[in-house]
Amino acid sequence: MVRLIIEKELRDIFTSSKFLVTFGICSVLIILSFLIGARNHQVATAQYEASKRANDLQYEGVTDWTRVQEYKIFLPPQPLATLVNGVANDIGRTIEVRGRGELRSQDSRYGDDPIFALFRFLDLEFIFSIVLTLFAILFGYDLINGEKERGTLRLTFSNAIPRTGYIIAKFIGAFLALAVPLLVPILAGILILPAFGITLAGDDWLKLALIIGAGIITVGAFLALALFVSASTERSSTSFLVLLSLWIVMVMIVPRLSVVAADQIVTVPSVDEINSQKSRFMSQIWNEDRGRMNSYTPPKSQNVQEVMAGFNKFMQELADAREKKFNELSARLNEERTNRQAEQQMLAMLVSGVSPSALFTLAAGEINGTSLRMERAFLEQAKEYQRQYAAFMKEKTGMNTGGFSFVVRMVTDDDAAPPKPINIRELPQFAFTPLSAASGLGAYTGYTGVLAVYLLLFFAGAYRSFQRYDVR
Amino acid sequence: MLNTLITHELRTIVLSPKFSLTFAVTSLLMLLSVAVGIAQYHDAVRQYETTTALTQQEMREARGWMSLNNTVLRAPDPMQIFVAGVNDDIGRISAVNSFRGIKLTHSTYSDDPVYAVFRFIDMAFIVSVVFSLLALLFTYDAVNGEAERGTLQLIFSNAVPRARYILGKFIGAWLGLIVPLCIPFMLSALLLIVWSVPMSPDHWLRLLTLYGTSILYVTVFIAAGILLSTATKRSSTSFLYSLVSWVCLVFIVPRAGATIAGQIVVIPTVAEVEAERDAFAKDRWARYEETLQTTWRSRNAPIESMTREDREAYREQHMWEWMEEDDRNRKQVQKDIDAFALSANEQQRNRKAEQERLAFALSRFSPASAYHLAAVNLAGTDITLKARYEDALNIYRPLFTAYKDKKQKESGGMGGIRIEVNTDTGVKIDTGREKGVLDISDMPRFEQPQRSFRDAAVPAMIDIGLLGFFSFAAFAGAFVRFLRYDVR
Amino acid sequence: MEQQPLLEANGLTKRYEDGALAVNNVSFSVRPGEIYAMLGGNGAGKTTTINLFLNFLEPTSGEARIAGIASHADPLAAKKHVAFVSENVMLYTNFTAVQNLAYFVRLGGRTGYTTEDYRRVLLRVGLQEEAHHKKLKGFSKGMRQKCGIAIAILKDAPAILLDEPTSGLDPKSGYEFMQLLGSLRDEGKAILMSTHDIFRAKESADTIGIMRQGNLVMQQSRAALSGEDLERLYMEHMAGVTE
Repeated sequence: MVRLIIEKELRDIFTSSKFLVTFGICSVLIILSFLIGARNHQVATAQYEASKRANDLQYEGVTDWTRVQEYKIFLPPQPLATLVNGVANDIGRTIEVRGRGELRSQDSRYGDDPIFALFRFLDLEFIFSIVLTLFAILFGYDLINGEKERGTLRLTFSNAIPRTGYIIAKFIGAFLALAVPLLVPILAGILILPAFGITLAGDDWLKLALIIGAGIITVGAFLALALFVSASTERSSTSFLVLLSLWIVMVMIVPRLSVVAADQIVTVPSVDEINSQKSRFMSQIWNEDRGRMNSYTPPKSQNVQEVMAGFNKFMQELADAREKKFNELSARLNEERTNRQAEQQMLAMLVSGVSPSALFTLAAGEINGTSLRMERAFLEQAKEYQRQYAAFMKEKTGMNTGGFSFVVRMVTDDDAAPPKPINIRELPQFAFTPLSAASGLGAYTGYTGVLAVYLLLFFAGAYRSFQRYDVR
Repeated sequence: MLNTLITHELRTIVLSPKFSLTFAVTSLLMLLSVAVGIAQYHDAVRQYETTTALTQQEMREARGWMSLNNTVLRAPDPMQIFVAGVNDDIGRISAVNSFRGIKLTHSTYSDDPVYAVFRFIDMAFIVSVVFSLLALLFTYDAVNGEAERGTLQLIFSNAVPRARYILGKFIGAWLGLIVPLCIPFMLSALLLIVWSVPMSPDHWLRLLTLYGTSILYVTVFIAAGILLSTATKRSSTSFLYSLVSWVCLVFIVPRAGATIAGQIVVIPTVAEVEAERDAFAKDRWARYEETLQTTWRSRNAPIESMTREDREAYREQHMWEWMEEDDRNRKQVQKDIDAFALSANEQQRNRKAEQERLAFALSRFSPASAYHLAAVNLAGTDITLKARYEDALNIYRPLFTAYKDKKQKESGGMGGIRIEVNTDTGVKIDTGREKGVLDISDMPRFEQPQRSFRDAAVPAMIDIGLLGFFSFAAFAGAFVRFLRYDVR
Repeated sequence: MEQQPLLEANGLTKRYEDGALAVNNVSFSVRPGEIYAMLGGNGAGKTTTINLFLNFLEPTSGEARIAGIASHADPLAAKKHVAFVSENVMLYTNFTAVQNLAYFVRLGGRTGYTTEDYRRVLLRVGLQEEAHHKKLKGFSKGMRQKCGIAIAILKDAPAILLDEPTSGLDPKSGYEFMQLLGSLRDEGKAILMSTHDIFRAKESADTIGIMRQGNLVMQQSRAALSGEDLERLYMEHMAGVTE
């Protein structure tokens, strides 16, 4: 019985113009998003390589490691970040590393190319959270009341059909019919990727599968919602209007309002405030050191090298002490801000959890590693790199370059052999470890779990409404 | 007769129970977005003022004229309440000093990526997404719905000219949808006054034009809805088509246009351009140092044979002149680097402009993009916002550095921290001035780049014209279709 | 020998939530091989009675029994024994006649029919062969009614409920339809039909019940009724309502 209704439902949908149109749009969109994503990744990789090369190139012919004041590291593009953008385009992709001092990422994609910020990209996340949720509503808004309007519900229930079986079959049938326009182009899209030289690692496959999984649950949740409304209203035009309003609220408004609401409730100290506090503190400790510098007496020696070494040691010690003090303050300020930010983010996520499509955005970002954690991961790994870099520079030059130290170059008239150029490649190279699927699995499971709960709740609502539905 | 038709159409739309509900909800939504926008604007102003004041204080307490560094902030503009555009994507702050080129950093979204996850909701967004949908929903069955109900047959059993009928439909629907739209518009304007947002007459003019553009945009969808209802027999078909075309026009075409343009015209990243500039700078400095060495060697050549006292005297005599010369050379190097950076930037911008032209050309097929582009231009949050600030900063920076140098000279000495390395006396550090504050009252101020209404409206004109064309084309299409419509 | 009634209403009453009394204490029964025609104007309670049999509505009191099973107590068991043809048979317009048949017949619990069976039954109800594999989109009302009765035949239930089956049909189709009904009666089906077509009822029904404002005001076998009686009764009981 259930199978029969499912079969009928599939046939009914497959022969409708609605299906043809949505299938067409879905296929074009999904394949386009894969194509664009693949091309985008190629371009981004080329840009990344070019930036790295250009960065290394500037040290060509440099003969002295002390001249390497800073070294830029870059966030390599992730193959899946082009399919699920998350915040990947909003956060800085470049960090200037010095031997000491604070690190800050800059040059975000959207900041560099505001044109994309204006229109944003066409990625899989957008397709799932906006287009497919709308299609789910389009497929589901008249599942029950449409049959009633067509008059077929009456005939159907003149037979010995249990309502439970009927509504389950309806849902499964529509769900399967919706899954086809979704999975076919996705599979095609995945097959396209290798043609663009994009190879997904094992972890990426897992991520992709989980993203698609969450997407399907999201679509299912919207379909169940549509079924619910359809089983609660008499006319399909009413249910469509109700659903469209709900869709706009859930997809467009709740997520955005959640952020605004969180912003109003939790005040996060602004970056400007913190920076100005930091720079005031810095100049204050500088002033303190100034006296020490003025009263510096060099070691009594005629050997220039010895004098310089003594001087450098003195300056290094001052710089180290300053850095220590500064770091304490900076850590405190940063921690305060980070905590507040985390609080704000939690609140925003909590509020946006009202909307299934927001939950999908969050789940996809988490599992893909393009969530808010991405920036933190980049900065943390850059910090680790900074330590390696400082250690390397110390070994090469005998001091911690960068920050507030002085380099004094001695020029002698000796006709010694010309100094050999350094090889910048000797520097430890920064390798970004993308967030693994495992690291986001907890949050992903949480968000997807809530999504599944929504699906079940909506379906339970549909079930309850349909038990009392007037099938006449 | 036209009157009767219009009144009837108006009544059909306005009296439908769905109408008041949807309009109440969407109006509330728009007011909410404006209210939030105003709150955020006030926040931004407060932050701007505090940070500017702190920067001033920092400058006054600077160690000396030599180490005077300015920080310039983008001032918030009331129009960002209505159209956020790229305002939150591009940097808010740039350091202005003599040793580094200007660069806008700290965008709102990179500082607080939580906003970037879902982005903000502004009035332009609500108009472009929600109101376009409403317009379609209330017009998709304007003609075929009447045919289905059978009323069309009855109407045309009278001596009603078709042209007048379709005109009546359009005007009635237009009045029914646009007049209610003006209510949240006016209330939003009221909110601005109540919450004392500093709106200049120029701002009001922009806002008014923005409202006008929004109305034109909704008109496109009203005409498109009527076109679809005359092009199809059944209202369920036109319903499907209107929904699908809405998704395509509002969401897909704009994004696809920009994305595809990005694929066709590839632009080097800012990091790459900067690295090139840095390479040039490093090279120039290295050469400068080389010449410095040879210069000093030649300067020292005549004193090789002198006695120690003579040497000191000779040095004392020429020192100032030499240092001036070195300083001149150093400045020349900086100038060269700045020139290089400027030209590299120029190239980058040209390539970008090419990409943008293509993206616009591709996405302008959609009225939603045209509307969005017109709106950001009118609000001044368009993609040239960054370039405008960079240009202004590039004008300001030489003024600032010149001021700094002048002050430095007036205060005497080289300033800053001087480290003297002398084979006789070892290393000596002089950190200069120790107390007091700098008087920066006569420092040149950064002028926020202002774009007059005229300058903003000119680029918006293309898009406004396009919107006009779209509505005309859609209505003409509906008109022609209806003349041949089978009214049975 | 007296057979057990297949369709049976015992004190059937339906009062809507707004207080309107749609069916008031109605009792009748339909035996195998019998056509029972419920006559009445609009709003007399005919359709409500059928809805009560199909458990589309819960009775306020009393019961409607199909093959001895109270349909509100065990609707699924009861509905196994009944086929239903509505006033305006609505089927899936994007399916062909045969596809619709196959679906609804299988929903009715009958499997194992072949395409040939569908063809035969569709021909029996008078649907031309070239329409069998056409989508229902362009079907006229008569054609749809034929499909509806075909579904009922194929379901092969002992009882058949028909709600105004001939309204809106042209005279020829109506005549053919009643002929078909007669042959089904002869096969031993118990048929309950609501109608306001007095002459059709007189021609083919075995028993006629007249409903007015929810009450079964008169019930008589055809044999006991003369033509004049019926017309008089009709004028008395029905015309008043429609005025």
